[in-house]
Amino acid sequence: MFRTILRRELQETGASFTLLSALVALTILVPLSAYIQARYHRHVVEDYAIRQSIHQTESGSQSIILIRPIPPLAPFYNGAYDSLPDEFRLQRDSAITNPPGGDLTPLDWLFPKIDLSFIIGVLMTLLTILLAHDTIAGDREQGALKLILASPIQKRTVLAAKLTGVILPTTVILVYVVSLYTTVVTIFSRGTVDLSGANLSALTVFTLAAIIVLMVTVALGVAVSASVNRSSRALSLCASIWIVIILIWPTLGPHLASSLKPVSSPEAFQRDMITKEKELIREELAEHRKTAADLKAQQVGVETAWQRYLELRRRWIERRNEEIGRLVRERKKQIRDQQAFARRISLFSPYVAFKEVLGSLCGTGLESYDEFLAAVERYRHQEFIPKSLDLLSRQNPWLNAANPDDRLQLRPLRAPSPTLSQRLATATWPLSILIAEMVILAMLSVLSFERYDVR
Amino acid sequence: MEPGRRLIWLIAKKEIIANIRNFKTPVALVTMTLLSLLSAHALALDYRNRLNNWSVNCDSQRDPSVRGSVSYDLSDGKFSHGVVFGNRPPIQPPQPFSALVKGMDAEMDRTVSVSQRIVFGARQDELAASALFDTPDTSFVVKLLVSLFALMFSLDTVTREREFGTLRAMLSQPIRRRELIIFKSLGASICLLAPFAVAYSVEVIYLQLAHGLLSDRQSLVRALLIFGLASLYGVVFVHIGLFISTITTRTRIAVTTALLIWVTIVLILPNASMLLAKLLTPTPSYNQLNARLWEAHRRILQGESEANPAARLPLARPVSIQSRPRLYEIERQETDNYLKSKKDQNRRARLFSALSPAGALTFGSSDLAGTGVDAYNSYLELFRSRRDVMIDALKRSLDLTPQAGDKLTQEARQTIANKERRTETLGASLRSSIISVTSLLAWAVFFGLAACWRFKRYDVR
Repeated sequence: MFRTILRRELQETGASFTLLSALVALTILVPLSAYIQARYHRHVVEDYAIRQSIHQTESGSQSIILIRPIPPLAPFYNGAYDSLPDEFRLQRDSAITNPPGGDLTPLDWLFPKIDLSFIIGVLMTLLTILLAHDTIAGDREQGALKLILASPIQKRTVLAAKLTGVILPTTVILVYVVSLYTTVVTIFSRGTVDLSGANLSALTVFTLAAIIVLMVTVALGVAVSASVNRSSRALSLCASIWIVIILIWPTLGPHLASSLKPVSSPEAFQRDMITKEKELIREELAEHRKTAADLKAQQVGVETAWQRYLELRRRWIERRNEEIGRLVRERKKQIRDQQAFARRISLFSPYVAFKEVLGSLCGTGLESYDEFLAAVERYRHQEFIPKSLDLLSRQNPWLNAANPDDRLQLRPLRAPSPTLSQRLATATWPLSILIAEMVILAMLSVLSFERYDVR
Repeated sequence: MEPGRRLIWLIAKKEIIANIRNFKTPVALVTMTLLSLLSAHALALDYRNRLNNWSVNCDSQRDPSVRGSVSYDLSDGKFSHGVVFGNRPPIQPPQPFSALVKGMDAEMDRTVSVSQRIVFGARQDELAASALFDTPDTSFVVKLLVSLFALMFSLDTVTREREFGTLRAMLSQPIRRRELIIFKSLGASICLLAPFAVAYSVEVIYLQLAHGLLSDRQSLVRALLIFGLASLYGVVFVHIGLFISTITTRTRIAVTTALLIWVTIVLILPNASMLLAKLLTPTPSYNQLNARLWEAHRRILQGESEANPAARLPLARPVSIQSRPRLYEIERQETDNYLKSKKDQNRRARLFSALSPAGALTFGSSDLAGTGVDAYNSYLELFRSRRDVMIDALKRSLDLTPQAGDKLTQEARQTIANKERRTETLGASLRSSIISVTSLLAWAVFFGLAACWRFKRYDVR
């Protein structure tokens, strides 16, 4: 009996106007957006090479610029990759690490780029809602529900068949969409997107997460359909819920979070850092003046003075790093608290939870960004500052014979490249929210359908 | 009242009463008011934060910079320790109207330093979560909600009457089908625009009373013009709804079709037209510009080394005084090309956005708010003119003594610090929104005519 109902559901869904028109629309949109993303990615990779060559020229013993490596799956989910600074200038004589510059992209503020996360999170969830909303209420209107329930079959079996009847075709379409997108990206990115090993596995988990999101939407549609008696009402209700949780709340949530948990302005933070640094520089200058006078009075040789000078520099650089580092850590904590709060209040939206999962999988999320920032800080303390001071100590400025080829020999920044299990570990929380939503909504549909008045 | 006119009023009134009775109008009123208020609250705070950020930046410009040097002068040699530590470069003040329509104002939250080169700092957006989704300003609320409610009000006007059987009774009256559609459109538009007007007024009053924004006369005129544009956008969707209603026979199919068309028009078409504009007007990235500037710098240095093979000149050094004017000119040219391509891309994007009502609304409302393409282009123009002043001063200072040259460049710095961004006049804003208004008008007329044409053949049985 389960099979009979399932077959009927599949036949109905397969022949529906909604499915066919959505399929046509997706077949046009998916390759188009994949092509644009692939082209854009190629451009980003070319730019990366240019940046590296410029920074090699620009970098000296006193300052270098670090670039964030391009996340491997950025064309699938752009996330925060484009909107946050991805270059940082490290300086020997200042503990402030700031991004040196940024491109002008005013149009992105008006219309964010379409990627696979948008196609699945917005368009496919809408398609699923449209398919699921009349599974129960629609059958009741046609009178078919009475006939089905007249046969010796449990209501749960009917519901299971109906849920499967929507999930199966949407999963097939999802697989079609993902494969089409991946193929077009692979062809037009001309080898700049690496789809092997961990990345391919991440893409597979991406698809599984997408299936869970679609299952949440199916369960929502069926739960609504089993709670009202007319399909037009079910549709209005489903569409309203969809608009709120997919379009409005994710947009409004972070802004409300920032108004409820305010942090000081970026410029105020910069000013605090600069004031502190100036204060320390003045103190250091005073100490240099005193030491220079003392050394002159003691009539020591220039080499001994140079050693004393280096020791002084080292001590002050450490102190500055410590004091500025404390300010930076406090600020980061504030920002992190605000972000965590924003996530807490918007994560119930399946679209936000889905994007969180994708951010971890594709390396374009905020977690990955934070890891990069931490790597930059580590690099500064463990590699750049010691080697830069080393170079300084090798120089003998009183001889005027500095070797111009004596350059800073740094090992490259090892940006974190988490394994699949590490990426999954950071995605656990949003994934569990998605699964919990799916279970709750499925249970809700069972309960509603048990009490459903089929007349 | 003439019988014909009475009939018009009757049909419109019937539409309005039906929408109040089935709670559509009250639902629209509550939803739009609530969302408009939330959006106004979020965006007003965002504006205040940015304003505060700017004023801190202005204050910090006056902080003294630290410079000093210490000489370690020993009997057998000497070395010195020197340090110069300045302030952050300035940022531009946000536009008060960005609390209503943010437009491209977010892009200007960055420091920009100007000398012979314009150095754009990174954008300040630490709450990165907001970068992942749209900005919830009025333009966003209108784009989503006004269009959806417009469809809700107009979608079942024909199919519902047909399903209830009242359409036949109505058409048995001495009335043309074309007129019936026009009056129905009037009724649905009133049902949509009345709650929207209330929600919008509440929003503007909230911004005035709670945040002291938009209280001058010009701002009110701008707010009114944005309302007009948003209403026109609403009417476009009323007509789309009527058209869908005349091509379908059942309300449910009408709703499904409408949702698919809505997604296409509101979410897909504007992005697609933007992508088209980007494809047709490729712009170099900021890094490409920097690479070109470095390349020019390197070529000049190489030329100097070749001209003077005896001296061992290191490559990492400033170019000689003789070559500097040439370097300035190359930098000027390259930067101008970069800025011009950005401006052209913005203008073309606005033109292409007219292909969809949602795109036209986004650009039109930001143009009217003074946060659109022209405002952004004048922001870029400001830096260009500041840079020109600096280059002139730097060139002239090459012929002077170092002290006199320093004085001249300091004066030039003062001059450019006083140069303010030109605020767009109302007339200019209106002119720049012409494309969007024309596009929306064309869409409204097109779908209105299409609905009339389809309804002529509509099977009322």
